[in-house]
Amino acid sequence: MSLVSFVRVQKKGHSMKQGILEALELINYVFPREARSILIKPNLCYYWDYSTGQTTDPEFVAALITIIRERISANVDISVAESDASAMKCRHAFRILGYEKMAEKYDVKLVNLSEDKTEKVEVSTNGQHFEFMVPKTILGADLRINVPKIKYMVRTEISCALKNIFGCNSNPNKSRYHSRLDETIVALNKIMKFDLTILDGIIVVGSKPRRLDLVMASEDPVAFDSAAARIAGLNPNSVKHIALASKEGLGSISFVPKGVDFKLFVQSWPKRELRLPGLHLAKSLITKARGSLIKDTV
Amino acid sequence: MNKIKLGLIGLGSVGKVHLGNCLKMAQAELLAVSDVSKRGLNFAKKMGVKKTFSDYRELLNQKDLDAVIIALPTHLHAACAKEAAEAGKDIFLEKPLARNVSEGREITSSIQKHGVRLMIGYPFRFSPPFQALKARILSGELGEVQIAIATNISAGPFSHRTENSIPRPVPEWWFKKELTGGGVLLDLGSHMINLTRWYLGKVSSVESYLGHRFNLEQEDHAICMLKFEHGQIAIINVGWFSQDWQTKVELFGTVGHAIAAKFEKGYTNEIQYFVHCIKDDLQPMTSGDDALKDLEIITQAYEHQLRSRVATNTYLHRLEE
Repeated sequence: MSLVSFVRVQKKGHSMKQGILEALELINYVFPREARSILIKPNLCYYWDYSTGQTTDPEFVAALITIIRERISANVDISVAESDASAMKCRHAFRILGYEKMAEKYDVKLVNLSEDKTEKVEVSTNGQHFEFMVPKTILGADLRINVPKIKYMVRTEISCALKNIFGCNSNPNKSRYHSRLDETIVALNKIMKFDLTILDGIIVVGSKPRRLDLVMASEDPVAFDSAAARIAGLNPNSVKHIALASKEGLGSISFVPKGVDFKLFVQSWPKRELRLPGLHLAKSLITKARGSLIKDTV
Repeated sequence: MNKIKLGLIGLGSVGKVHLGNCLKMAQAELLAVSDVSKRGLNFAKKMGVKKTFSDYRELLNQKDLDAVIIALPTHLHAACAKEAAEAGKDIFLEKPLARNVSEGREITSSIQKHGVRLMIGYPFRFSPPFQALKARILSGELGEVQIAIATNISAGPFSHRTENSIPRPVPEWWFKKELTGGGVLLDLGSHMINLTRWYLGKVSSVESYLGHRFNLEQEDHAICMLKFEHGQIAIINVGWFSQDWQTKVELFGTVGHAIAAKFEKGYTNEIQYFVHCIKDDLQPMTSGDDALKDLEIITQAYEHQLRSRVATNTYLHRLEE
């Protein structure tokens, strides 16, 4: 079974860097010293500040970069990558969310995967055929590290490690895949396998943003998402893309927890209200109709 | 008198609000709409608008239109308003009047030259809770108002987060200071400056502190302190940085204090008032000259900021430690 570590970053002087190191040690992770090009995929879904819990904190990524340079080589080539989405342009997100300044300070490249050279790759998942233009920066990386957030999502129940790879799809019109989103997520994970997932769970967003001070790590994205689903109060077997990813051999739903008892995070997690399916749909339609004028009702 | 015949130029987020409100009005008829987006025009057609144009100049050529509502990006205000004035149309122009005082003056001069009416869209002035504050000042029940604190903090041009909705794209012009003319002080501050001037009178001095949390060219948060000619003080407190949405004016007087915190009906009422001004041949209270004063104050606030060099970037302070 796959190891998933849980570390709480809250002691005075216990920095993000220490939290990441501890999480990696708990899963016995050793950085491949021969890696020369490393890709980090944060979650930048929109122009929402890290303090909302929606996007990966650039300071967290900076801490990871420092560790990589210390453990592999000071001269290793590191890229931080994201792609344009229906409502977000990478060049603005990198600037607004502080990634431009971080990249300058830590001498890393920022890559807009939507502007990257691509290679056509075909894949089948759950009997469905897909064809993606896969960014060469991802295909060419020696080490790929996924740094997602945990959050609820209407279409997939939860967004974490597996869903974050959806953002590696260079096509900015992401909504075209929404009709078969679970299969798309799994298909993209089959094409772009990430070696390591580290959670920036310092601030999370469930029913509302909350400081959870959590760092998780695993080499198995399915086990990682399974653990994330448990923390968010969901049964991973009932989350379609997690179950499908397991079925398609991307990892194991079962996991061996290491470190802090993860049930402590389950208790602190900002759970959402119990919803009736009809009410949920009605809220969704009302929100869509009223657009930006509606206040956050979650 | 027959219904006032309106044209609407621009179908962005506020343009769509005006579209819905105009179609419901008894005293006016929305005859035509223009927008560069085909999708927007199709939406207008579905809503029942008879004439749609991709170029606003074609809309301005329509002889049967009495007036136009201009809800375009700020950098297009001056050109469009001047052409509308030249075409002899009364004009309702979204705030801010223009990107800067010089463009604002070009608009007001053109209005004067062509003898048309210009109203600026300041919907708080037509929202009953904010109108009630003015009535309470006039009634004397607050005594002499000495301090006003006007807050307008939201996500600005960015989408507020909701679990059930997909965020909206932000139109590219919002990211370019040369096109917006300024940041949140111009965008949301213009509302609050206009309101406090309405409540307290003539501004005699301006100080400001601007912030850049999100590394935009424009400020995304600002505090602007206005001193009025009779010694009253107003603090204008605006931001684009928050997922919360707070709009509030607090007045503190020698007898009592009052708060307006609920914005409602402002968009509907302001268009009805505009139509009323046309029908009854009145000059709108939120005129071009009135909005020009707001622009002058905002310009002073930017100049004060440049002088005092207190621009801050709070976002990455942790990385710099």
